Amino acid sequence: MFRDYGPKEVKFFFIYKSLAHPELAGNYVQPFTLPERLDHARQAERQLGASIPWIVDAMDNRLKHALGDRPNSEFVINPEGIIIRKRAWSDPTQVRKDLEELVGPVNRITREEDVQLKLELPPKATAAERVMPRLNRPKMQPIMMEPQIEQEGPPFFAKLRAEADASLLRDGNGQLYLGFHLDPFHNAHWNNLTESLSFRIDTVEGVTIDKWEGVAQKVSAVSDADPREFMLNVAAWPVDKPLRLTVSYFACVGEESCYAVKQEYVLHRERDIDGGGARGEGAGYWESEEFAQRMLASDKDKDGKLAKTEATGIILPQFDKLDRNKDGFLDLDELKVFSDWLNYHHTPGTPSSEPDSDP
Amino acid sequence: MRFVAPFLMLALAFIAVPIEVQAQKMQEREEDFLRSRPLIGDIFPDVTVYSPDGTPFKTGDLRGHYTVLTFGCLT
Repeated sequence: MFRDYGPKEVKFFFIYKSLAHPELAGNYVQPFTLPERLDHARQAERQLGASIPWIVDAMDNRLKHALGDRPNSEFVINPEGIIIRKRAWSDPTQVRKDLEELVGPVNRITREEDVQLKLELPPKATAAERVMPRLNRPKMQPIMMEPQIEQEGPPFFAKLRAEADASLLRDGNGQLYLGFHLDPFHNAHWNNLTESLSFRIDTVEGVTIDKWEGVAQKVSAVSDADPREFMLNVAAWPVDKPLRLTVSYFACVGEESCYAVKQEYVLHRERDIDGGGARGEGAGYWESEEFAQRMLASDKDKDGKLAKTEATGIILPQFDKLDRNKDGFLDLDELKVFSDWLNYHHTPGTPSSEPDSDP
Repeated sequence: MRFVAPFLMLALAFIAVPIEVQAQKMQEREEDFLRSRPLIGDIFPDVTVYSPDGTPFKTGDLRGHYTVLTFGCLT
Protein backbone atom coordinates (compact mmCIF):
# COMPACT_ATOMS: atom_id res chain seq x y z
CA MET A 1 0.00 0.00 0.00
CA PHE A 2 2.92 2.28 0.84
CA ARG A 3 4.30 1.53 -2.66
CA ASP A 4 0.93 2.17 -4.27
CA TYR A 5 -0.05 5.32 -2.43
CA GLY A 6 3.36 6.83 -1.62
CA PRO A 7 3.60 8.21 -5.18
CA LYS A 8 0.11 9.65 -4.71
CA GLU A 9 1.46 11.81 -1.87
CA VAL A 10 -0.10 9.77 0.90
CA LYS A 11 2.18 9.60 3.95
CA PHE A 12 2.47 6.50 6.13
CA PHE A 13 3.92 6.24 9.62
CA PHE A 14 4.20 3.57 12.25
CA ILE A 15 4.14 4.94 15.80
CA TYR A 16 6.51 3.13 18.13
CA LYS A 17 4.93 2.78 21.56
CA SER A 18 5.57 0.91 24.80
CA LEU A 19 5.68 -2.88 24.40
CA ALA A 20 2.30 -4.61 24.17
CA HIS A 21 3.69 -7.97 25.31
CA PRO A 22 7.03 -7.72 27.09
CA GLU A 23 9.14 -10.90 27.22
CA LEU A 24 7.95 -12.15 23.83
CA ALA A 25 10.05 -12.24 20.69
CA GLY A 26 13.63 -11.53 21.69
CA ASN A 27 12.80 -11.38 25.42
CA TYR A 28 12.24 -7.67 24.98
CA VAL A 29 11.59 -5.61 28.10
CA GLN A 30 10.14 -2.12 28.49
CA PRO A 31 12.80 0.55 27.93
CA PHE A 32 13.48 3.05 30.74
CA THR A 33 14.98 5.91 28.73
CA LEU A 34 14.31 7.59 25.42
CA PRO A 35 17.63 6.40 23.89
CA GLU A 36 16.56 2.85 24.81
CA ARG A 37 13.16 3.31 23.19
CA LEU A 38 14.89 4.70 20.08
CA ASP A 39 16.96 1.48 20.03
CA HIS A 40 13.69 -0.45 20.03
CA ALA A 41 12.35 1.59 17.13
CA ARG A 42 15.51 1.03 15.08
CA GLN A 43 15.26 -2.69 15.82
CA ALA A 44 11.61 -2.54 14.70
CA GLU A 45 12.81 -1.04 11.41
CA ARG A 46 15.20 -3.94 10.95
CA GLN A 47 12.84 -6.63 12.18
CA LEU A 48 9.55 -5.48 10.72
CA GLY A 49 10.63 -3.59 7.64
CA ALA A 50 11.81 -0.04 7.17
CA SER A 51 10.00 1.16 4.08
CA ILE A 52 7.37 2.89 6.19
CA PRO A 53 9.02 5.37 8.56
CA TRP A 54 8.60 5.01 12.30
CA ILE A 55 7.96 7.84 14.71
CA VAL A 56 8.65 7.20 18.38
CA ASP A 57 6.34 8.18 21.21
CA ALA A 58 7.90 10.05 24.14
CA MET A 59 8.63 8.19 27.39
CA ASP A 60 5.50 9.63 29.02
CA ASN A 61 3.52 7.88 26.24
CA ARG A 62 1.78 11.14 25.39
CA LEU A 63 0.70 10.19 21.88
CA LYS A 64 -0.61 6.79 23.00
CA HIS A 65 -2.59 8.48 25.78
CA ALA A 66 -3.86 11.21 23.47
CA LEU A 67 -5.13 8.62 20.99
CA GLY A 68 -7.00 6.19 23.21
CA ASP A 69 -4.35 3.74 24.49
CA ARG A 70 -4.78 0.87 22.06
CA PRO A 71 -1.84 -1.31 20.99
CA ASN A 72 -2.52 -1.44 17.26
CA SER A 73 -4.97 1.35 16.49
CA GLU A 74 -4.94 3.19 13.20
CA PHE A 75 -5.80 6.75 12.16
CA VAL A 76 -6.19 8.45 8.79
CA ILE A 77 -5.89 12.23 8.76
CA ASN A 78 -6.62 14.60 5.92
CA PRO A 79 -4.37 17.39 4.59
CA GLU A 80 -5.91 19.80 7.14
CA GLY A 81 -4.79 17.54 10.01
CA ILE A 82 -8.32 16.33 10.81
CA ILE A 83 -8.96 12.71 11.77
CA ILE A 84 -11.19 11.20 9.11
CA ARG A 85 -10.90 7.50 10.00
CA LYS A 86 -10.03 5.70 13.21
CA ARG A 87 -10.16 2.05 14.15
CA ALA A 88 -9.14 0.15 17.26
CA TRP A 89 -7.15 -2.44 15.27
CA SER A 90 -5.14 -1.81 12.14
CA ASP A 91 -6.86 -3.20 9.06
CA PRO A 92 -4.83 -2.84 5.83
CA THR A 93 -7.74 -3.99 3.64
CA GLN A 94 -9.90 -1.23 5.05
CA VAL A 95 -7.14 1.37 4.71
CA ARG A 96 -6.83 0.47 1.04
CA LYS A 97 -10.57 1.02 0.64
CA ASP A 98 -10.27 4.35 2.48
CA LEU A 99 -7.50 5.49 0.17
CA GLU A 100 -9.33 4.35 -2.97
CA GLU A 101 -12.21 6.52 -1.83
CA LEU A 102 -10.05 9.49 -0.77
CA VAL A 103 -7.40 9.67 -3.49
CA GLY A 104 -8.59 7.15 -6.07
CA PRO A 105 -7.69 3.58 -7.06
CA VAL A 106 -4.24 2.57 -8.29
CA ASN A 107 -3.63 0.87 -11.63
CA ARG A 108 -1.77 -2.09 -10.23
CA ILE A 109 -2.05 -3.27 -6.65
CA THR A 110 1.30 -4.25 -5.12
CA ARG A 111 0.99 -7.64 -3.50
CA GLU A 112 2.99 -8.85 -0.56
CA GLU A 113 4.98 -11.28 -2.67
CA ASP A 114 6.08 -8.39 -4.93
CA VAL A 115 7.81 -6.68 -2.03
CA GLN A 116 11.24 -8.11 -1.25
CA LEU A 117 11.54 -7.38 2.42
CA LYS A 118 14.78 -8.32 4.12
CA LEU A 119 13.66 -8.72 7.67
CA GLU A 120 15.95 -9.48 10.57
CA LEU A 121 15.29 -11.77 13.49
CA PRO A 122 15.27 -10.67 17.11
CA PRO A 123 18.75 -10.65 18.65
CA LYS A 124 19.94 -13.96 20.04
CA ALA A 125 20.30 -14.36 23.80
CA THR A 126 23.76 -13.45 25.09
CA ALA A 127 24.13 -16.62 27.18
CA ALA A 128 22.37 -19.84 28.12
CA GLU A 129 18.64 -19.66 28.68
CA ARG A 130 16.24 -21.90 30.57
CA VAL A 131 18.73 -22.84 33.22
CA MET A 132 16.66 -21.22 35.97
CA PRO A 133 13.12 -22.46 36.67
CA ARG A 134 10.61 -19.72 35.90
CA LEU A 135 7.88 -18.52 38.21
CA ASN A 136 4.34 -18.92 36.95
CA ARG A 137 2.51 -15.66 37.09
CA PRO A 138 -0.50 -15.69 34.79
CA LYS A 139 -2.98 -12.82 35.06
CA MET A 140 -0.86 -10.41 37.08
CA GLN A 141 -0.83 -6.72 36.18
CA PRO A 142 2.17 -4.41 35.85
CA ILE A 143 2.40 -1.67 38.47
CA MET A 144 3.84 1.81 38.26
CA MET A 145 7.49 2.06 39.15
CA GLU A 146 10.18 4.66 38.82
CA PRO A 147 13.70 3.47 38.13
CA GLN A 148 16.05 5.95 39.85
CA ILE A 149 18.17 6.84 36.86
CA GLU A 150 21.57 8.44 37.54
CA GLN A 151 23.03 10.31 34.60
CA GLU A 152 26.54 9.05 35.31
CA GLY A 153 25.49 5.57 36.43
CA PRO A 154 25.71 2.32 34.49
CA PRO A 155 22.76 1.41 32.26
CA PHE A 156 19.97 -0.73 33.65
CA PHE A 157 21.40 -3.97 32.22
CA ALA A 158 18.67 -5.75 34.18
CA LYS A 159 15.26 -4.12 34.31
CA LEU A 160 12.66 -4.71 36.95
CA ARG A 161 9.24 -5.93 35.92
CA ALA A 162 6.92 -5.44 38.90
CA GLU A 163 3.44 -6.96 38.80
CA ALA A 164 0.63 -7.28 41.31
CA ASP A 165 -2.29 -9.66 41.52
CA ALA A 166 -5.83 -8.32 41.54
CA SER A 167 -6.20 -8.32 45.32
CA LEU A 168 -2.94 -6.48 45.93
CA LEU A 169 -4.01 -3.79 43.50
CA ARG A 170 -7.51 -3.65 44.96
CA ASP A 171 -6.89 -3.61 48.71
CA GLY A 172 -3.16 -3.83 49.37
CA ASN A 173 -3.11 -7.52 50.31
CA GLY A 174 -1.80 -9.99 47.78
CA GLN A 175 1.12 -11.11 45.67
CA LEU A 176 3.86 -8.92 44.27
CA TYR A 177 6.05 -10.27 41.45
CA LEU A 178 9.55 -8.89 41.03
CA GLY A 179 11.36 -10.02 37.90
CA PHE A 180 14.80 -8.68 36.96
CA HIS A 181 15.05 -9.25 33.22
CA LEU A 182 18.21 -8.61 31.23
CA ASP A 183 17.58 -6.04 28.53
CA PRO A 184 18.75 -7.60 25.22
CA PHE A 185 19.76 -4.17 23.94
CA HIS A 186 22.50 -3.97 26.57
CA ASN A 187 23.85 -7.33 25.50
CA ALA A 188 24.66 -8.43 29.04
CA HIS A 189 24.59 -11.76 30.85
CA TRP A 190 24.72 -12.71 34.51
CA ASN A 191 28.09 -13.55 35.99
CA ASN A 192 27.33 -16.62 38.10
CA LEU A 193 30.88 -16.94 39.43
CA THR A 194 30.15 -14.07 41.78
CA GLU A 195 27.32 -13.37 44.21
CA SER A 196 23.77 -13.87 42.91
CA LEU A 197 21.48 -10.93 42.37
CA SER A 198 19.92 -9.66 45.56
CA PHE A 199 17.25 -7.09 46.40
CA ARG A 200 16.16 -5.21 49.50
CA ILE A 201 13.01 -3.22 50.16
CA ASP A 202 13.15 -0.42 52.74
CA THR A 203 10.69 -1.24 55.51
CA VAL A 204 7.56 0.87 55.73
CA GLU A 205 5.62 1.11 58.98
CA GLY A 206 2.39 -0.83 58.88
CA VAL A 207 3.26 -2.81 55.73
CA THR A 208 3.97 -6.54 55.98
CA ILE A 209 6.06 -8.38 53.39
CA ASP A 210 7.21 -11.98 53.76
CA LYS A 211 10.52 -11.17 52.03
CA TRP A 212 11.87 -7.66 52.56
CA GLU A 213 15.03 -8.93 50.94
CA GLY A 214 15.95 -11.84 48.75
CA VAL A 215 18.86 -13.51 46.96
CA ALA A 216 18.47 -15.31 43.65
CA GLN A 217 19.09 -19.03 43.61
CA LYS A 218 22.63 -20.08 42.59
CA VAL A 219 23.00 -21.34 39.03
CA SER A 220 25.62 -23.91 38.04
CA ALA A 221 26.12 -22.45 34.55
CA VAL A 222 28.95 -19.91 34.49
CA SER A 223 26.67 -17.37 32.89
CA ASP A 224 23.08 -17.21 31.70
CA ALA A 225 20.42 -14.76 30.60
CA ASP A 226 17.33 -15.96 32.47
CA PRO A 227 15.42 -13.48 34.58
CA ARG A 228 15.84 -13.50 38.36
CA GLU A 229 12.36 -13.70 39.82
CA PHE A 230 10.71 -13.43 43.23
CA MET A 231 7.14 -13.71 44.42
CA LEU A 232 6.35 -11.77 47.58
CA ASN A 233 3.30 -11.85 49.81
CA VAL A 234 2.36 -8.35 50.81
CA ALA A 235 -0.22 -7.16 53.33
CA ALA A 236 -1.57 -3.75 54.30
CA TRP A 237 0.26 -1.80 51.59
CA PRO A 238 -1.46 1.59 51.37
CA VAL A 239 -1.73 3.34 48.01
CA ASP A 240 0.02 6.46 49.32
CA LYS A 241 3.13 4.65 50.59
CA PRO A 242 5.45 3.73 47.73
CA LEU A 243 8.10 1.08 48.33
CA ARG A 244 11.77 1.77 47.75
CA LEU A 245 13.72 -1.16 46.37
CA THR A 246 17.47 -1.59 45.87
CA VAL A 247 18.88 -4.32 43.65
CA SER A 248 22.52 -5.46 43.41
CA TYR A 249 23.93 -7.70 40.69
CA PHE A 250 26.93 -8.46 38.52
CA ALA A 251 26.40 -8.13 34.78
CA CYS A 252 28.96 -8.84 32.08
CA VAL A 253 29.12 -7.64 28.51
CA GLY A 254 31.23 -10.02 26.47
CA GLU A 255 34.08 -11.84 28.21
CA GLU A 256 35.90 -8.90 29.69
CA SER A 257 33.63 -6.12 30.90
CA CYS A 258 31.84 -6.95 34.12
CA TYR A 259 30.00 -4.46 36.26
CA ALA A 260 28.94 -4.56 39.91
CA VAL A 261 25.64 -2.72 39.76
CA LYS A 262 23.42 -1.27 42.48
CA GLN A 263 20.20 0.36 41.32
CA GLU A 264 17.04 1.67 42.92
CA TYR A 265 13.35 1.74 42.13
CA VAL A 266 10.27 3.28 43.69
CA LEU A 267 7.18 1.06 43.39
CA HIS A 268 3.61 2.31 43.52
CA ARG A 269 0.47 0.32 44.25
CA GLU A 270 -1.10 1.47 41.01
CA ARG A 271 -1.63 -0.32 37.74
CA ASP A 272 0.67 0.79 34.92
CA ILE A 273 -1.57 1.14 31.87
CA ASP A 274 1.51 1.35 29.63
CA GLY A 275 3.18 -1.75 31.08
CA GLY A 276 1.65 -4.16 28.55
CA GLY A 277 0.58 -7.74 29.19
CA ALA A 278 3.66 -9.93 29.57
CA ARG A 279 3.54 -13.11 27.48
CA GLY A 280 5.93 -16.00 27.36
CA GLU A 281 7.43 -18.50 29.74
CA GLY A 282 6.22 -17.70 33.24
CA ALA A 283 3.68 -15.10 32.22
CA GLY A 284 2.04 -17.73 30.01
CA TYR A 285 1.87 -18.30 26.27
CA TRP A 286 -1.46 -18.10 24.47
CA GLU A 287 -3.38 -21.30 25.01
CA SER A 288 -4.63 -22.29 21.57
CA GLU A 289 -8.09 -23.63 22.43
CA GLU A 290 -8.88 -20.72 24.73
CA PHE A 291 -7.54 -18.22 22.22
CA ALA A 292 -9.55 -19.72 19.36
CA GLN A 293 -12.74 -19.83 21.45
CA ARG A 294 -12.25 -16.21 22.41
CA MET A 295 -11.88 -15.23 18.77
CA LEU A 296 -15.04 -17.21 17.98
CA ALA A 297 -16.89 -14.92 20.38
CA SER A 298 -17.61 -12.65 17.43
CA ASP A 299 -19.30 -15.50 15.49
CA LYS A 300 -22.63 -13.67 15.28
CA ASP A 301 -24.58 -16.24 13.28
CA LYS A 302 -23.36 -19.08 15.52
CA ASP A 303 -22.24 -21.33 12.69
CA GLY A 304 -19.01 -22.16 14.52
CA LYS A 305 -16.73 -20.25 12.16
CA LEU A 306 -15.87 -16.66 11.44
CA ALA A 307 -16.80 -14.93 8.22
CA LYS A 308 -14.69 -11.90 7.35
CA THR A 309 -17.57 -9.63 8.31
CA GLU A 310 -17.54 -11.17 11.79
CA ALA A 311 -13.79 -11.04 12.38
CA THR A 312 -12.45 -8.31 14.61
CA GLY A 313 -9.31 -7.34 16.44
CA ILE A 314 -6.00 -9.01 15.80
CA ILE A 315 -7.62 -11.56 13.45
CA LEU A 316 -8.98 -9.22 10.83
CA PRO A 317 -5.76 -8.00 9.19
CA GLN A 318 -4.55 -11.61 8.92
CA PHE A 319 -7.86 -13.09 7.77
CA ASP A 320 -6.91 -14.11 4.24
CA LYS A 321 -3.62 -15.69 5.32
CA LEU A 322 -5.28 -17.59 8.13
CA ASP A 323 -7.97 -18.96 5.84
CA ARG A 324 -5.77 -21.80 4.67
CA ASN A 325 -8.47 -23.78 2.88
CA LYS A 326 -9.73 -20.57 1.22
CA ASP A 327 -13.38 -21.24 2.01
CA GLY A 328 -13.94 -17.68 3.20
CA PHE A 329 -14.28 -18.70 6.84
CA LEU A 330 -11.97 -19.26 9.80
CA ASP A 331 -12.82 -22.40 11.71
CA LEU A 332 -11.56 -23.47 15.13
CA ASP A 333 -8.49 -25.25 13.73
CA GLU A 334 -7.47 -22.29 11.60
CA LEU A 335 -7.83 -20.02 14.61
CA LYS A 336 -5.77 -22.37 16.74
CA VAL A 337 -2.97 -22.21 14.19
CA PHE A 338 -2.86 -18.48 14.71
CA SER A 339 -2.24 -18.73 18.45
CA ASP A 340 0.37 -21.41 17.81
CA TRP A 341 2.00 -19.07 15.36
CA LEU A 342 1.94 -16.21 17.86
CA ASN A 343 3.59 -18.41 20.46
CA TYR A 344 6.01 -20.00 18.02
CA HIS A 345 7.02 -16.74 16.41
CA HIS A 346 7.41 -15.13 19.77
CA THR A 347 9.39 -17.92 21.35
CA PRO A 348 12.79 -16.37 21.94
CA GLY A 349 15.42 -17.45 19.47
CA THR A 350 13.01 -19.35 17.23
CA PRO A 351 13.46 -18.55 13.55
CA SER A 352 10.43 -16.74 12.22
CA SER A 353 11.22 -16.75 8.52
CA GLU A 354 9.99 -20.22 7.57
CA PRO A 355 7.28 -19.86 4.92
CA ASP A 356 4.59 -21.74 6.81
CA SER A 357 5.31 -19.91 10.03
CA ASP A 358 3.86 -16.73 8.59
CA PRO A 359 0.28 -16.29 9.77
CA MET B 1 -26.40 -41.63 23.60
CA ARG B 2 -29.52 -40.19 25.17
CA PHE B 3 -27.52 -39.76 28.38
CA VAL B 4 -24.74 -37.95 26.61
CA ALA B 5 -26.89 -35.35 24.92
CA PRO B 6 -28.05 -33.49 28.05
CA PHE B 7 -24.49 -33.33 29.35
CA LEU B 8 -23.31 -32.10 26.00
CA MET B 9 -26.00 -29.44 25.96
CA LEU B 10 -25.11 -28.43 29.48
CA ALA B 11 -21.45 -28.19 28.53
CA LEU B 12 -22.32 -26.16 25.44
CA ALA B 13 -24.45 -23.85 27.56
CA PHE B 14 -21.48 -23.19 29.83
CA ILE B 15 -19.28 -22.46 26.85
CA ALA B 16 -21.95 -20.38 25.13
CA VAL B 17 -22.49 -17.97 28.02
CA PRO B 18 -18.92 -16.71 28.32
CA ILE B 19 -18.62 -16.48 24.54
CA GLU B 20 -21.73 -14.30 24.43
CA VAL B 21 -20.27 -12.12 27.16
CA GLN B 22 -16.91 -11.99 25.41
CA ALA B 23 -18.53 -11.05 22.09
CA GLN B 24 -20.39 -8.25 23.77
CA LYS B 25 -17.24 -7.05 25.51
CA MET B 26 -15.26 -7.04 22.27
CA GLN B 27 -18.01 -5.12 20.53
CA GLU B 28 -18.19 -2.66 23.42
CA ARG B 29 -14.43 -2.14 23.34
CA GLU B 30 -14.59 -1.29 19.63
CA GLU B 31 -17.49 1.07 20.22
CA ASP B 32 -15.82 2.65 23.26
CA PHE B 33 -12.80 3.38 21.13
CA LEU B 34 -14.89 5.05 18.42
CA ARG B 35 -16.72 7.11 21.06
CA SER B 36 -13.53 8.13 22.87
CA ARG B 37 -11.63 11.32 22.08
CA PRO B 38 -10.28 12.25 19.68
CA LEU B 39 -13.35 11.68 17.54
CA ILE B 40 -13.55 11.50 13.78
CA GLY B 41 -13.65 15.16 12.76
CA ASP B 42 -11.31 16.29 15.57
CA ILE B 43 -7.87 17.73 14.89
CA PHE B 44 -5.10 15.13 15.32
CA PRO B 45 -3.35 15.86 18.66
CA ASP B 46 -0.24 18.02 18.40
CA VAL B 47 2.53 16.54 20.58
CA THR B 48 6.29 16.22 20.27
CA VAL B 49 7.51 12.74 19.42
CA TYR B 50 10.78 11.58 17.80
CA SER B 51 12.20 10.06 14.67
CA PRO B 52 14.23 6.89 15.35
CA ASP B 53 17.47 8.94 15.27
CA GLY B 54 16.13 11.08 18.13
CA THR B 55 15.13 14.18 16.17
CA PRO B 56 12.05 15.79 17.75
CA PHE B 57 9.01 15.73 15.53
CA LYS B 58 5.72 17.59 16.01
CA THR B 59 2.65 15.61 15.03
CA GLY B 60 0.92 18.94 14.30
CA ASP B 61 3.24 19.19 11.29
CA LEU B 62 1.50 16.21 9.67
CA ARG B 63 -0.47 18.41 7.33
CA GLY B 64 -0.65 18.87 3.61
CA HIS B 65 -1.18 15.18 2.82
CA TYR B 66 -3.46 12.32 3.61
CA THR B 67 -1.59 10.45 6.33
CA VAL B 68 -2.07 6.93 7.72
CA LEU B 69 -0.69 6.32 11.23
CA THR B 70 -0.58 2.90 12.86
CA PHE B 71 0.58 2.02 16.38
CA GLY B 72 2.99 -0.85 16.77
CA CYS B 73 5.94 -2.19 18.74
CA LEU B 74 8.37 -5.13 18.76
CA THR B 75 5.96 -7.46 20.52
